[in-house]
Amino acid sequence: MSAMKLRDVYLVMGKRSPQAKAGTDLKNVGVPYLASYLVRHLMDSFNIPSDVIDEVVMGNVGAPAKYPNIGRVVALEAGLDKKTSAYTVHRNCASGMEAMSQAFVKIACGRADLMIAGGLESMSQMPLIYNKEMTDLFIHLMKAKSLPEKLKALSVFRPPFLSPIVAIEQGLTDPFCNLNMGQTAEILAREMNITREEQDNFANQSHLKAIRAQSEGKMKEEIVPIAVGSKLDKLLEIDTGPRANSTVEGLGKMKPYFERVTGTVTVGNSCPITDGASAFLMASEDAVKKYNLKPMAKMTDFHFAGLEPERMGMGPLLAIDGVLRRAGKELRDMDVVEINEAFAAQVLGVLRGLKDKEVAKRFGLDKAWGEIPEGNLNPNGGGIALGHPVGSSGSRIVVTLAHELKRRKARFGLATLCIGGGQGGAVVIENIQ
Amino acid sequence: MVGNTRIKYETKEQIAYIGFGYNNDKAQTVLDQETLLELADIVKDVHAKGRELKGLILHSVKPGCFLAGADIKLIETMQTESEAASGAEKGQLLYNGIEDLAIPTVAVVDGPCLGGGLEMVLACKAIICSDSSKTLLGLPEVKLGILPGFGGTYRLPRRIGLPKALDAILTGKMIKPKSAYKLHLVDAVYPKERLMAQALNHLKKSPKGKSLKETLESFATENFVTRKIIFQKARESVLKKTKGFYASPLKILDVMEAGMGKGRSGYLALEAQAFGELCVSDTSRNLRHLFFLMEGAKKYNGPKSTHPVPDLKRGAALGAGTMGGGIAWLMADNGMAPLMKDLNKDALELGMKQSARNFYGALKRRKITQDEFERKQRSIVPVTDFTGFQNVDLIIEAIVENLEIKQKVYRELEKYIRPDCIVASNTSSLRVTQMAEAFEHPERFAGLHFFNPVHMMPLVEIVTHPKADPATIEALYNWVIKVKKTPVIVKDGPGFLVNRILMPYLNEAGFLLEEGVSIKDLDNACLNFGMPMGPCRLLDEIGIDVAVKVAKIMHDALGERAKSNTSSKKLIENQFFGKKSKKGFYLYDENEKEIGLNEAVVSALPKSKKMDEIDIQMRVFLPMINEAAYILSDGLVLRPSDVDLALIFGIGFPPFRGGLLRYADSEGIDRIYRAIESFSKSVDADRYAPSPFLKKMVDEKKKFYDL
Repeated sequence: MSAMKLRDVYLVMGKRSPQAKAGTDLKNVGVPYLASYLVRHLMDSFNIPSDVIDEVVMGNVGAPAKYPNIGRVVALEAGLDKKTSAYTVHRNCASGMEAMSQAFVKIACGRADLMIAGGLESMSQMPLIYNKEMTDLFIHLMKAKSLPEKLKALSVFRPPFLSPIVAIEQGLTDPFCNLNMGQTAEILAREMNITREEQDNFANQSHLKAIRAQSEGKMKEEIVPIAVGSKLDKLLEIDTGPRANSTVEGLGKMKPYFERVTGTVTVGNSCPITDGASAFLMASEDAVKKYNLKPMAKMTDFHFAGLEPERMGMGPLLAIDGVLRRAGKELRDMDVVEINEAFAAQVLGVLRGLKDKEVAKRFGLDKAWGEIPEGNLNPNGGGIALGHPVGSSGSRIVVTLAHELKRRKARFGLATLCIGGGQGGAVVIENIQ
Repeated sequence: MVGNTRIKYETKEQIAYIGFGYNNDKAQTVLDQETLLELADIVKDVHAKGRELKGLILHSVKPGCFLAGADIKLIETMQTESEAASGAEKGQLLYNGIEDLAIPTVAVVDGPCLGGGLEMVLACKAIICSDSSKTLLGLPEVKLGILPGFGGTYRLPRRIGLPKALDAILTGKMIKPKSAYKLHLVDAVYPKERLMAQALNHLKKSPKGKSLKETLESFATENFVTRKIIFQKARESVLKKTKGFYASPLKILDVMEAGMGKGRSGYLALEAQAFGELCVSDTSRNLRHLFFLMEGAKKYNGPKSTHPVPDLKRGAALGAGTMGGGIAWLMADNGMAPLMKDLNKDALELGMKQSARNFYGALKRRKITQDEFERKQRSIVPVTDFTGFQNVDLIIEAIVENLEIKQKVYRELEKYIRPDCIVASNTSSLRVTQMAEAFEHPERFAGLHFFNPVHMMPLVEIVTHPKADPATIEALYNWVIKVKKTPVIVKDGPGFLVNRILMPYLNEAGFLLEEGVSIKDLDNACLNFGMPMGPCRLLDEIGIDVAVKVAKIMHDALGERAKSNTSSKKLIENQFFGKKSKKGFYLYDENEKEIGLNEAVVSALPKSKKMDEIDIQMRVFLPMINEAAYILSDGLVLRPSDVDLALIFGIGFPPFRGGLLRYADSEGIDRIYRAIESFSKSVDADRYAPSPFLKKMVDEKKKFYDL
């Protein structure tokens, strides 16, 4: 494998939608449109013909029934040529990062020169599903031909058949260990003694940092406004999650959600379920030259790793370890680090694992990578304030990272996130502007 | 049959095929003289063969067009009422021949099947059609001021019932395959590739009996009392819509009501007679004239380009106000994924609202689906910078009407666009020639004047200037046609074409008010002439402040004949700006609906003076004709028909009059000239100074349409 010479992969431009809590501003946006306008914006920003994008890869978790391959729909709605190949990938919370990774591999090994990669999620539109009993009833009813047969099929009906399965709730429960994501965070808090106060403090910082970034106009550089409202005649320009009036005291009043009596994880120190999308135009050096592109960054490498599903929140620790080894870098080389905030407890756990040799060892690492200076970690807030649209967050944090590196005129950055099911993913990028 | 040139007639396995569109290399097949003669021979032959044949299939050998109707030139040849009536009778006899065939007959329709074409297939026992988007069925005769004269008024109610037939014949609407099936106008709809095979099956099928619902329906509509009510309601609705200016819908109702009690020959005799009467009426002649003008306008006739004309695919609207939003809507509706640029979010939202309102209206009227609504509205890309402008082929600027600001924007804009990108300005009052000076490449620039509201107003003025490239003008012309608007090319000048001719109409209205003519009398005189609204109501619509501004520009540019009086200025002082401020000559409610005269204005005007309606009409319409003569003599438009098209589609000049200049021709140029001259003595020497061009026409005994 090592004999193969890999090409440089450029992140030409990355943009994202504003993010809004599920059931609010973005709830009625037709799912593909969360991302198609971003792709159109990327294309509008350069002089690239609409028929030269080799592939479009989109991460998506909810897989809306109407769009079995939503990546393709995104490509077409964005006005890309009909011959453009497009597909959808699913690596749960890291789907957007998986999309970028696939684009990276394809460009690096020379199979593609121009790709669009990102993710999108409408958690608002995740459905209620008929339960097994009701589904069986429908199947029997459809098979029944005569009226008596039909009546017989109907006769088994009982009111509980109508109790629906909430797709989003089921999706957030690990099928292997049968724990809800919040419960996995509680395990980390218990085992590493991460206190409620530490968590609330972290969550509060997320809001304050996001509010500050908004007021400084930083978010405008990465967000493309999207048309919203029942008549699509309003523009949403900012994330609606961050609260300027957030306080540690206020957060302290919330009841634990997943372990009612002894728990520490609340709705306030977890990320809200959210709608949003993000996308990158990625290119080879040949394409950069051919179309006279001015890339914002280079994608250095990526890494995914697995661990026990009930401790999925520690995934970033393993992924950071993996990606730094691949890139041949130290943690201190990273000028900015984005760790997606699924739960405050989980991010604090990862930070513990980075500096504490014992914790690192417990998760199979042979060294502690060190500490991340406070100003370099999630400098513009994270998922707790901004939300976590699962299909998009994997690429959203890279968008935010790339823009922050550019602002700081810094060099290397790392983005990582935990993945439901017990994995972590990480990406290292290099600012070249 | 030997020697056929228009119809392919053949017999295969005892089935006769009549194929229209034979040897036709034009886009459409029409029923011309030769086709009708050939068809008569063929029908005779089919009758003669009798039981030798098992069936007859009428189809088109030309894909995508069945029969687009009777050749309108054929109608033009009918000079007298009896000539026209007997022409109709011949067609009726021919179609009776098809109806009377003892063998099964199936019409196979792919593409338009209109007018005489639909009347023909109605004489068949079964009609099947393709699901192609080109397939449209209808009896549009009413739009030409006539009625279906080949038995359409007789056969359509028999096939689909009286109420639906009345609706189709009175509106002349085009019916799509799916609706045609629901109406029971066609027996089945198939993919076009499967039509001919299915036609054979339909030959074997016996006609379906009526369903219970249909039986009930016909029971409800086919008795004396309900019929009477249906006709009465239809008559009321026609009068409301046409204000009595159009004879043909009323005639259609007369024929169909009187015919109901009669047999085929009695009914058809009534139809033929009415056809004759309508054919020679002025209204029908004028509407046919208009039809030819519209057909003529579909082809570009401006300056020829020596290099290829660009195809305008991606669009941009500069400025997101009412007009910018309307233009973005038009581009989005035509798949141009337009960029829409303005300074900030609030400004952009105004444009998005404008476009959303139009698309939402289409959604409510079920013209588009919810998905299409979202796709189309979202295809508009709101921007505050020039992102994407390098990929755009057409930019239409609709920012504030200020020459310096526009020129500054153009200089900035040109840095971001491709050399072959066309830029057009939606200016209504500035001079395009001056605007062009800001461009490094003025050849890419022209005026493109839309009327407000964009989605309702069909006319677009394409304003040229000396440095414009003919390819720019032709590309814009083609684009305007593509987005289903009517283009008129006009050279740069104050007010271009429509506003310049509108100027004396509005000015003279102001002077009449000052003389003591009431708002009501004035507006009514113009309504009774056939205008969609009177001048005072129109001023409210335009905005009285805007009108005053434009009037000043006209006065400055054209001199004393374009002077206006001060009554409008007084309105502005009182904040009566018209509809937009809810108060003008009239008052308006929250929904911008007119709710009566503004008494404050009425009482401020001089006390009432009675003037004959005809005199009021002459006072406002004669100076328009005079101004049009100036425009023609200045060579601002190529042909008089441009003036007529522009006024009909730009301000709703009554179509039944065929246009302003057609009206002048019909009144007699010498009479018009004398009347203007007499006003120049009795009213005002400047405003009614007769155009020398008009004088020359009188001397040379020429009409406008002789030019």
